[in-house]
Amino acid sequence: MGKIVVVIFIFMAHLIGDEAHEIIKKLDENFRGKNIYMKLNMKIVSMGHERVMKMQSYSQGTKKSFVKIIYPPKDEGITFLSLDREMWQYVPKIERIIKIPPSMMLQKWMGSDITNDDMVKQSSIVEDYEPKIIKREGSVVTIELTPKENAPVVWGKITLNIDTTTYTSHKDIFYDEEGKEVRYFIYKDVKKVGNYYIPTYWMVQSSDTEGRYTEMILEEVEYDTKISEEYFTKSALKRFSK
Amino acid sequence: MFKLALKNILFYKGRSIATAVLTFVSTMLFILYISLQDGSHNSMLENSLKIYTGAIEIYRKDYRDIGGNEYLIQDVKVITDKLEKIDAIEEYSPRYETYGLLSNKEYSAASMVAGIEPNKERVLSSLKSALIEGSFLDDGSANCIYMGAELLKKLKLGIGDEVAFIGSASDGSFAADMLRVCGVFKTGSFEFDSSTSFVARSYFDELMNAKNRASYITLKLKNIEDADKVNEQIISMLDDENLESLTWKTLMKSMVEIMEIDSVFGYISLSLFMVVIFFVIMIYGFVNVSSRIKEFGVLRCIGLSKRNIFLLLFYEIALLSIFATLLATPIAAYICYYYNINPIVIDGIADMYKDYGIVSDEITFDYNLFTIGWNVGVIYLLNFLSILYPYMYINSFRPIEATRHV
Amino acid sequence: MYKLILKLAWKNSFLRRSRTLLVIIMIAVSMSMMLAIEGIYDGMVENMVDKNKRSDSGDISIFAKEYRINKDLAYMIKNADEIKAQIENMQGAQAVVLRVKAEGLLSTARKSSFASVVGIDLQEEERFGKFSEFLKEGSIDLQKQGAIVGIELAKTLKVGVGSKVVFSTQDIRGEINSIALYVRAIVQTTNISLDNSAIFIDINQLHKFLGTDSKNAMQIAIRGEDKELYGKLKIAFANLDVKSFLELQPMIKQMQDLMIIFNSVTLLIVMGVVFIGIFGVMYVSILDRVREFGIMISVGMHYKYITIQIFLESIVIGVLGYLSGALLGAVLLTYLEHYGIDLSAFSDALATWGYEAVIYATIKTSYFTTTLGAIMAASIFSVIIPLRKIKKLNPIEVIKAEK
Repeated sequence: MGKIVVVIFIFMAHLIGDEAHEIIKKLDENFRGKNIYMKLNMKIVSMGHERVMKMQSYSQGTKKSFVKIIYPPKDEGITFLSLDREMWQYVPKIERIIKIPPSMMLQKWMGSDITNDDMVKQSSIVEDYEPKIIKREGSVVTIELTPKENAPVVWGKITLNIDTTTYTSHKDIFYDEEGKEVRYFIYKDVKKVGNYYIPTYWMVQSSDTEGRYTEMILEEVEYDTKISEEYFTKSALKRFSK
Repeated sequence: MFKLALKNILFYKGRSIATAVLTFVSTMLFILYISLQDGSHNSMLENSLKIYTGAIEIYRKDYRDIGGNEYLIQDVKVITDKLEKIDAIEEYSPRYETYGLLSNKEYSAASMVAGIEPNKERVLSSLKSALIEGSFLDDGSANCIYMGAELLKKLKLGIGDEVAFIGSASDGSFAADMLRVCGVFKTGSFEFDSSTSFVARSYFDELMNAKNRASYITLKLKNIEDADKVNEQIISMLDDENLESLTWKTLMKSMVEIMEIDSVFGYISLSLFMVVIFFVIMIYGFVNVSSRIKEFGVLRCIGLSKRNIFLLLFYEIALLSIFATLLATPIAAYICYYYNINPIVIDGIADMYKDYGIVSDEITFDYNLFTIGWNVGVIYLLNFLSILYPYMYINSFRPIEATRHV
Repeated sequence: MYKLILKLAWKNSFLRRSRTLLVIIMIAVSMSMMLAIEGIYDGMVENMVDKNKRSDSGDISIFAKEYRINKDLAYMIKNADEIKAQIENMQGAQAVVLRVKAEGLLSTARKSSFASVVGIDLQEEERFGKFSEFLKEGSIDLQKQGAIVGIELAKTLKVGVGSKVVFSTQDIRGEINSIALYVRAIVQTTNISLDNSAIFIDINQLHKFLGTDSKNAMQIAIRGEDKELYGKLKIAFANLDVKSFLELQPMIKQMQDLMIIFNSVTLLIVMGVVFIGIFGVMYVSILDRVREFGIMISVGMHYKYITIQIFLESIVIGVLGYLSGALLGAVLLTYLEHYGIDLSAFSDALATWGYEAVIYATIKTSYFTTTLGAIMAASIFSVIIPLRKIKKLNPIEVIKAEK
């Protein structure tokens, strides 16, 4: 009898585990489709100052992405390309393509709370973490992601609160190794685009610095359109800068 | 008693000369040693202060620990208006420092790029005199960059070459421009020379959106010894708990400490010399006294008290010491004074010790009358201590016994 | 006869007991102080040299020609394992290790810092430089992505034993790659650059991570005091960059030189003063006994014997002073060797310059032999002038002279 309970328990655990995997996978798909084009507004608020940027972003799968800044005029035409784990930047003012060295990758991206590394390593949520469902409340499932053994990630764990009707998260919390909160993402205003759901309002805030956050509003989102492969080459940096 | 002492001194020539010479030597040694030690410490400090660090620097709290745009001083003018009123400040200048990427085709390096006011820096720092090629910046020099020699090498650049700068401006936005290498400097500190470069604020403020903002404000005082006093004045004047004003003692704590250690060792070595000399003076005094046991016996018999005897010995040593120090002190002081103004130059010293922050080939002596005063005081004290044992020795004889002593 | 003279000398030395004792004490105190200071200074430098050698460069290090200028993965020593085997068979090479190094970024959830990862073979490092003695905390173990972190780097990143850190760098293909590492131990090598930025991991792990050939290495470090070894290596590996310890650390070389100069000057000054002391006492004691010597000469004793006697007297004082000084010095040095001088009040500054907070003395036989020589010289020279004076005297007059 006891044995059967154990077997069922293991089976259940497996099922739950699988369900968590499934949810994370769907969440991830919602974020990127086969490919995705976004036009977004970014607002960085820090110590009473506010800065707005607008940009267009093209990405394909997990390894290729191209970003172009279109506002403010001063920064217009700056482009970024990331392929695998490398990143380049083109600045029209100086007409140079510069490879971002590893040391700069973990720096704050354009004064936001997002690091270059975040942008490059999006994929690792699926690859590097083991998901587990820890709470259900109606359609909202709380999933805890713990790094797989030897996964090269710095977070101790991440919790995601995912609405299973749309497979979008409304809050992600990032913890350090000791289990202390380091920063969180908040997502709102979910829209349906084609077969996908995507929150059009994102906000990132470090847990211990008040009055400082980064907001993003997606103005346009298009999935699975034909994005030319040309965007993901180094020559695109200059070509698509205009 | 005084006359007798004088007579004795003249009579026992050997002892007198030996004592006087030893006192002379030890006084010279003491004064010069300390002067050299303090002098080299001072010049080490001065050189480091001259290179880049100010006597006092004003920061927004946490800039030094955390850094970044959030901790910049946002309204420089409010502070500088107040600094204007402090008389002891010779010059001040707000600096804007940022880390960015310098890139020359395939070579790129992270560097601290600092926006400075070149004309003020001529007074504030020795950046200008560290120039080895090209020219120093000007208040009007546009996209000129003044670069450390090692950094230049790393990036494989030369004078007149262009180099791309990418960083983030004070508001976090993008900042990028092509800079032109106008001058190269070498301070001797590898760390500094391989990671630092300068541009004129007039140009940089535009690029970095940094007008009226600063990483910190650096100050030069008319007299560096007033640092603590002036610092308090600044703190109370600023009256802003978001700001901190720090003197060089805090800014260069590790250098100050290493000099303290060096002083400790210096004093230990010196005390060795002093101990030896003390012994020798004592031995001479003792030998002298012991050959005069009979004489002291007689003196006691004719009614001199123990106190008188002590006085006699005291006068003797006092006269000898005064004679020797009167001779030695002015000479030593003059040497200190001379080498304070005209440092000894030994070529190549700076090369040898550049890692310790020594950047000049000069060996400077310190000229400080107070130090010389207490040095001489110590010599006197030692000399007086040296008569204690001989005195006790004589007193161990009873007067009658002593008169018969052979 | 000589026995008698020796006896006389011995007796005379103690005729004026206080005086002689004073001189002996003087020699003893100044000598022991001098030895202690010498020991501490040498200890300071030697400790630094020793730790630098053990933790990094050894007595000789070999790099690829370009590597020290441009620390890039492209500049590795090819077939380093064969070279290592070859050197191990050379005479005078005691221990050889290979190291792989890469610079990159070490991060935790909250902070990141520049670091250089050093791939080592623990067992070989142990033989090479007793690596485990650098241990400050935790246990030396690099299995399963274990890492050992320099103490200052650990402080900067606020990590301790058990923390997980991520190291990122460019691999051989130019791609940025990351690896999770688990801090197993914190070490203090007092080698500033290592303490500030090194993280040690297993050499094979690092090869795998960087995608480099496991036959290659950045550095071959060699222990071996043999002076000929350096020349032999330079010839054998002319296509590589062979550097001796002092070439790699010119500052330490300068410090060593400086210490030698400083110690010699100290010895000279101290012995000069000691000489004056002995001289004074001997001079007076000879003059005191001029009559005695006069009598001795007039009863037919040869001048030579008086000279010998005086020399012996002076030497007796010197030797006694030396013996007590040596004893006191040995005690002091032994104390300082075991307990050291605690300078933890300045530990920050000391660490910045690569010293330890507690400085232990070294003891060298040369301290004792050099001082013996110096003191003997001082005692012998100190009687030459007084002796001249006696020689000039006419014995008869001397005896007649009223005291």
